Amino acid sequence: MKPLLVPVTVAVLLLAGCSSPKATYVEADSSRLVTTVEGINLQDFAQAADAMTASLIDNLINPGLLKSGVPNEPALLAISRILNNTGQQFDTDLLIKKIRVALLRTGKVQTSTTIAFGGVEDPLVADLGGPPKRNPDYTLSGKIIEDRTKAGNVRQSSYIFQLSLSSLNGIAVWEDERTIVKQGSRATVGF
Amino acid sequence: MKSSLFSLLLLAVVAGAGCRSTQMNTVDPAQPANQREMISDKRVLKDQSLNKAVNIVGLNVGTGPEGFLKVQVEVENRTRSLKSFTYTVEWFDENGILIELPTAHSRPRSLEGGEIAAITATAPTPRAKDFRIKFLEPVGR
Repeated sequence: MKPLLVPVTVAVLLLAGCSSPKATYVEADSSRLVTTVEGINLQDFAQAADAMTASLIDNLINPGLLKSGVPNEPALLAISRILNNTGQQFDTDLLIKKIRVALLRTGKVQTSTTIAFGGVEDPLVADLGGPPKRNPDYTLSGKIIEDRTKAGNVRQSSYIFQLSLSSLNGIAVWEDERTIVKQGSRATVGF
Repeated sequence: MKSSLFSLLLLAVVAGAGCRSTQMNTVDPAQPANQREMISDKRVLKDQSLNKAVNIVGLNVGTGPEGFLKVQVEVENRTRSLKSFTYTVEWFDENGILIELPTAHSRPRSLEGGEIAAITATAPTPRAKDFRIKFLEPVGR
């Protein structure tokens, strides 16, 4: 029986070392975030937004194909309809705001807060500034789609992010689609 | 003692069945048309098993007309089975200051046994002049 004492002690020490407090702060870009199969997690939005921004930079901004209507000023973007076609309720700004911030930081794109699908984003500016003095050069529209399947004990959820950047003459000058697929044997992975 | 040994053996067999080898075969042109600008790198390797699962084969960079840096890391899984990992890309400006963005995240990735893959990342701004890529084994949450 004595030989069991060492492995048991080691196991107890390991468990003690791996135990975590009941609540703790985690960095938003950490790989320790909770991941679930049954829903879109915060890191999924960040992943999709990052991939979409990189695609926009690679295919449109970096080759110098993004054109501004006003010389020496960044191109102006207006946010059009972003459709949530999933079974979940969430604010599409979880995706779009990240893309807007990232595009603004490129120094090549600005977003209108007074011209947007479904109403102005900043009503005070719209009241104080009067009618917009500049039309957007591009509009951003998109859709988020969900697909679920199950085989035996394995559940799989796919979230498809589709975005299009259109010029004002109705031509999609950039489009991309990113799919995030998650699998798990239970509703929640990791716990 | 016999039953303990038997249990251990059974556990090993079951675990082994779950991690069965899935090695990948690949084919490339013998004389590739591309001219890759490979750069020397500095590596800090603290997890040797991760280094085997995600072995860095090479690093090349390019810059587009508008000045955005593009990085590609070629990685190889030198084990015989599927390995999952996460990686994070950090960008720094010319003063070495970290450029923070809401799109920053740990990217999940997996490689089949023997698979070689290219991981690419595009700088978020022309101000980004340097980068750091961090690899981590899944932490299981």
